[in-house]
Amino acid sequence: MKILVAVKQVAALDEDFVIGADGRDVDAEFLIRDLNEWDDFSLEEAVRIKEAAADPVEVVVVSIGPEEADEVLRKCLAKGADRAVRIWDEAVAGSDPIAIARILAAVARQEAPDMLLAGVQSSDHGFASTGIATAGFLGWPHGAVVASLAYTSGEKSAVFRRELEGGLLHQVTIQCPAVLTIQAGINTPRYASLRSIKQAAAKPIDVRNLADVGISAHEVGEQGSLSHVRRMYIPDKGHAQLIEGSAAEQAKRLAGIIRAFKGEA
Amino acid sequence: MSHIDAVTRILFEEFATAEIRFFYVIGYAAIAVFFYGVYVQVRKYRRGAALRLDGSPWARVLDMVGSVLSHRTIARRDTGAGAAHRLIFYGFVLLFLGTSTITLQYDILDPLFGIRFWQGDFYLVFSLVLDMAGVMLIGGLLYMMARRGWMKLPKLDYARPDRVPGDPDFERPQYRREDWAFLWMLIIIGVTGYILEAARLVWLQDRPLVWQTRWWSPVGAELAEALRTAGLSAATAGTLRHGLWWFHGLIALALIALIPWTKVKHIFTAAASLLVRDPLAAQRLPRIPESQAEPGVAKITDFTWKQLLNLDACTKCGRCHEACPARAVGAPLSPRDVILSLREFANAALEKNVLPDAVELGVHGKAPGQVTMETLWSCRTCMACVEICPVAVEHIPIIVQMRRKLVEEGSMEPLLQKTLQTIHKTGNSFGESRRKRGAWSKALPFAVKDARKEAVDVLWFVGDYASFDPRNQSVTQIFATLLHEAGVDFGILFDGESNAGNDVRRVGEEGLYEVLAEANISALHQAKFNSVVTTDPHSFNTIRNEYPDFGGKFEIQHYTTLLRQLFDKGRLRMARKLDYRVTFHDPCHLGRFNKGYEAPRELLALLGCELVEMGRSRANSFCCGAGGGRIWIPDPVGSEKPAQNRMREAAAIDGLEVYVVSCPKDLTMFEDALKTTGNEGKFVVKELIELVREAVSHELVPA
Repeated sequence: MKILVAVKQVAALDEDFVIGADGRDVDAEFLIRDLNEWDDFSLEEAVRIKEAAADPVEVVVVSIGPEEADEVLRKCLAKGADRAVRIWDEAVAGSDPIAIARILAAVARQEAPDMLLAGVQSSDHGFASTGIATAGFLGWPHGAVVASLAYTSGEKSAVFRRELEGGLLHQVTIQCPAVLTIQAGINTPRYASLRSIKQAAAKPIDVRNLADVGISAHEVGEQGSLSHVRRMYIPDKGHAQLIEGSAAEQAKRLAGIIRAFKGEA
Repeated sequence: MSHIDAVTRILFEEFATAEIRFFYVIGYAAIAVFFYGVYVQVRKYRRGAALRLDGSPWARVLDMVGSVLSHRTIARRDTGAGAAHRLIFYGFVLLFLGTSTITLQYDILDPLFGIRFWQGDFYLVFSLVLDMAGVMLIGGLLYMMARRGWMKLPKLDYARPDRVPGDPDFERPQYRREDWAFLWMLIIIGVTGYILEAARLVWLQDRPLVWQTRWWSPVGAELAEALRTAGLSAATAGTLRHGLWWFHGLIALALIALIPWTKVKHIFTAAASLLVRDPLAAQRLPRIPESQAEPGVAKITDFTWKQLLNLDACTKCGRCHEACPARAVGAPLSPRDVILSLREFANAALEKNVLPDAVELGVHGKAPGQVTMETLWSCRTCMACVEICPVAVEHIPIIVQMRRKLVEEGSMEPLLQKTLQTIHKTGNSFGESRRKRGAWSKALPFAVKDARKEAVDVLWFVGDYASFDPRNQSVTQIFATLLHEAGVDFGILFDGESNAGNDVRRVGEEGLYEVLAEANISALHQAKFNSVVTTDPHSFNTIRNEYPDFGGKFEIQHYTTLLRQLFDKGRLRMARKLDYRVTFHDPCHLGRFNKGYEAPRELLALLGCELVEMGRSRANSFCCGAGGGRIWIPDPVGSEKPAQNRMREAAAIDGLEVYVVSCPKDLTMFEDALKTTGNEGKFVVKELIELVREAVSHELVPA
């Protein structure tokens, strides 16, 4: 019995960041990297299934990213994942979520898990499509925005509830193997002590390139993507301002602004 | 030989040989039970984890003997108990040594070498000394009985804050029974000793040698007079003496046999605990040995032998119970009960001939003998318990090592967990960008040097609260201004500095502490400076006492001593006297932890403030409640917070104007408590730095 958990190293903005030279992303120096919040929940869900199982369950985390993504994989290993796989190739840079899903699907075919868990979305780019697209490539059933999951290792199907608008829940039975995208709040992720993270640093990470998973370079990256980021920018701030002072002062200041706007000043 | 030289005590006179033999059998049996008990206890300690003691053994012995003979630790904060225990101790020791000299002559020196010394002048002085020793013993015991029976001291109430009425180990009446049994046993031994002596005198009143020297045993002689007046005949007295002799002897032998099995063992365990005392027990927490697979303490056998010994040293005196700020505000923690719980656990599990399975040795939980996580998380690691313990029980490392296990399994408040993750990610507990650490310096009219880029005389380790908390930032800016105006060549590490880790370590997140300590040590090593200063007592403590274990040896001082020196050298000058009526709050990590009691008081005197001490000051200062990571754990709603308890204490000072603190966390905690206790407007909370500024500034600063 095996569960594959797709995880992503996301970026958060540091103070006073600047946009990089190509105008399409924040300068990497101003990014603070961490495990995607949703992935923390899906990993926890997988580890709980493993802990509740009578037979051995292997939890494999997979991430697509450069070497620095090892840090989040180690965190996952510290939290109870058994094995970590990282796929990287220079050609992957610039991939859209569909291209990433193509790679994940290839890994899933190699690993042949009983269940693939992914986060609903990533906190940085927020496409919310990687997991679902992976199910599409695999031809597996999928459930999105899963808020609770009842799955016993070895069962042929799982029952889950997914969040709908207006506080409604959908209760669904799904045949395995399946892809589920996990909603934040489904559980309380465990704490990975620094000691366990350090110990996980000694565990190997299985690094594979595109050839290893049977994907060619033109299927990924800009070439393999149907959407492209054109630019990233900070929109001009609105011109609203608060005028302070007494009513008379405020009126005088307002009149001045209107005159300036009309070009009279 | 004059007739006085012949005087001695009769021993087994008129005892049948069989009777004497029987006595020896009982005596040896008692000693055998004693030694078997010692074996069982030592085996119990040896079932704990290994520990190497450092430091000179002779210094340890001297320190221990000094503490025991002077009773200095027992007399603290309870002079009555100290004096009474001193009487009992010296009375008991004299009686024990005295009785031993009888054996020395009768069973060893005389039969083997024919040496007899227990006669003549020696015997007479011996009689007098032992008679006086008996008075001391009984006097001390009577006070202790009065203390338990009538004074009803809250610290001697064994009801526990971490259990509820109805729990099997809530009140532990067996402790009260044992206390009284011990007192009665000793007092009966003492009193029967005197009656026995008096009966012997009446019985032998016709022997001039005995009768003429009777006043060398004044209490016995007085009692003998009374018995004679009451009509006791010599013959009846002889019978009485025979019966009492056995009664007195058997109780005394029973006491010896009971020593290792009851609270009487403290006469050895307390001394041994003092002998292995670590003067930096709370200041410098133990590292996790490389060989240890799981961090912290999960099982009773994970404690070191020394900690198991500590458990047995506790005499339930209640000083820690009284001093604990968590206990004072009704949190489910009493340091005494943590120790007693674990002791009950150790006695049940480790005195057995066969060590129980590992699953039966877990010390975390709610069963009798176990410690709950609520209890462990209530601790502020303020060191009040360790500091006052008369027998050197070291509660803090015990609690922190148990917390390490909780952290490893993630059993902690979600907010604390989040804060630890934040500190890991950003290097500070505020979740602010590293880049913003030095941002407070931008508002200053002068540039603060980057100590990573240019050499400085003094490196200022700023710390999280002083760097990021808006209220503390203003104090930080004032301190920078003072240094600048005093011409101190100083710099900071800017984003090279991380949280010092003092509180992270006390939370029990040792792995994160190591990351922080190593990062700071490496940043400090890259800078060029002569000494370190900090306004944060928490950073001060860990850099001073704990970084050396990680290869970071730096000369560091708290700002209070630096400012004092700047005044001494004339680099800071008073512009005006501040005639405020103030009180001073000793921060745990500056005061108790590092004995920095004087510098802040000297500064206050220098500024012209009138210092009114609170009842709990210096070593007995009352924690603000923020230590040990508690600043990241919300206090339960509705219950009193330690800082509020403290504010009420300060508010009782007549005409108080300023409550002076010298720690960034204190400023935050007490300004909050000032408002929540309704004392806002009555007096203010100020950093000592702010008062110094006011006194040295030539511009008028509004109070």
